[in-house]
Amino acid sequence: MGSTSTKIKLRTSNQKVFKVEEAVEVQSLMIKYFYENGCPSCVILVHSVSSNILSKILDYCKKHVNSAAGKEDISLEELYEWDANFVKVDQNTLFDLILVANCLKIESLLDLTCQTIANMIKGKRPEEIRTTFNIKNNYTPEAEEAVRREKKWAFNMLGV
Amino acid sequence: MVMADVSKAVAEMQSGASMMEQLVPEITTHALSYLDYPSLCRLSMTNSLMRKAANDDNAWKALYHKDFTLEQDTVTPVNGWKAYYAATRAIMNVNTEFFNIIKDRSLSAMSRFWLNADYVKCIHASGVLFSGYNAVIQSWQHAFNWEQWVDFQVRDVRARVLTNMAWITMKTYVDMDNGAFNMTNIFEFHHGRWYLVDHHCSEMLADGDIGQQIVH
Repeated sequence: MGSTSTKIKLRTSNQKVFKVEEAVEVQSLMIKYFYENGCPSCVILVHSVSSNILSKILDYCKKHVNSAAGKEDISLEELYEWDANFVKVDQNTLFDLILVANCLKIESLLDLTCQTIANMIKGKRPEEIRTTFNIKNNYTPEAEEAVRREKKWAFNMLGV
Repeated sequence: MVMADVSKAVAEMQSGASMMEQLVPEITTHALSYLDYPSLCRLSMTNSLMRKAANDDNAWKALYHKDFTLEQDTVTPVNGWKAYYAATRAIMNVNTEFFNIIKDRSLSAMSRFWLNADYVKCIHASGVLFSGYNAVIQSWQHAFNWEQWVDFQVRDVRARVLTNMAWITMKTYVDMDNGAFNMTNIFEFHHGRWYLVDHHCSEMLADGDIGQQIVH
């Protein structure tokens, strides 16, 4: 396999076409699937995904493929740091990354982004979680009290 | 040409509710699998949709395996994994209390810890069996007077909880060179709390467990 030959193309909503390097394919189980199942030169339409997001995702794949292949001299800690900076984005971008990572089946990116969401929830009070994600409280005061009581019953009695 | 599913997922996002609420369930479950249980509980209080997501059975199963044990993968808890998680955490805390009582050498606390019934049994490391509440409590009085369990560590605690019964197996290392024991505690649920009904302690075969001691 020649590592620089381009095979599969991705086309975004704004008609921008991205050629995917073979090396990057490996990161995406979906592209790998197309490649291995006789569709090595097809064009995948990724509608509603901006070229910004897609190029960011391809950056991610390239970084990880290159570091795994030893093409880039980067320690594991440095890669973690790179990942941490990669997900320092606004929420719209983060959720877009999640969706695309899920659709293209890029497992490590999905792990990374999902963990980022989890970190945004951790240690926050319910009101703070609502504000962070713009979640509307649709409980009536009675329902909210019932949930609170149920939670008490399940956990607070354990003394934890 | 192949159309990826991305367009559909993104279009769904634009219908008003928060992005968090509009994630497909698999992704939500994936994200929630990184949360600890207090966070899951607090998330469930934000609104009804998040509550549904935070009560997801798979999320609690994952949390159970992460916090307690990879065993019991094939069991199906009658009231779901969240309830099973809570029940397991409860019995683990009760079991920790057992060792606190031994550390404190508190006979009154130990008396309250056991079920007052004629069928309770206790086998100490000596191999002697005590049967019935009074004999069992006396055996602990004796143990508290003579044995000095100052420093010990409890490891590999595994709990199985059914509606009114639970049993816990564990390994206990006393002073790290005074002895290693396999222990089993069996509890029954009466009047809203767990009571110890059986305690069995036996010395570990040194050569049979050395490998695991090093690993843990």
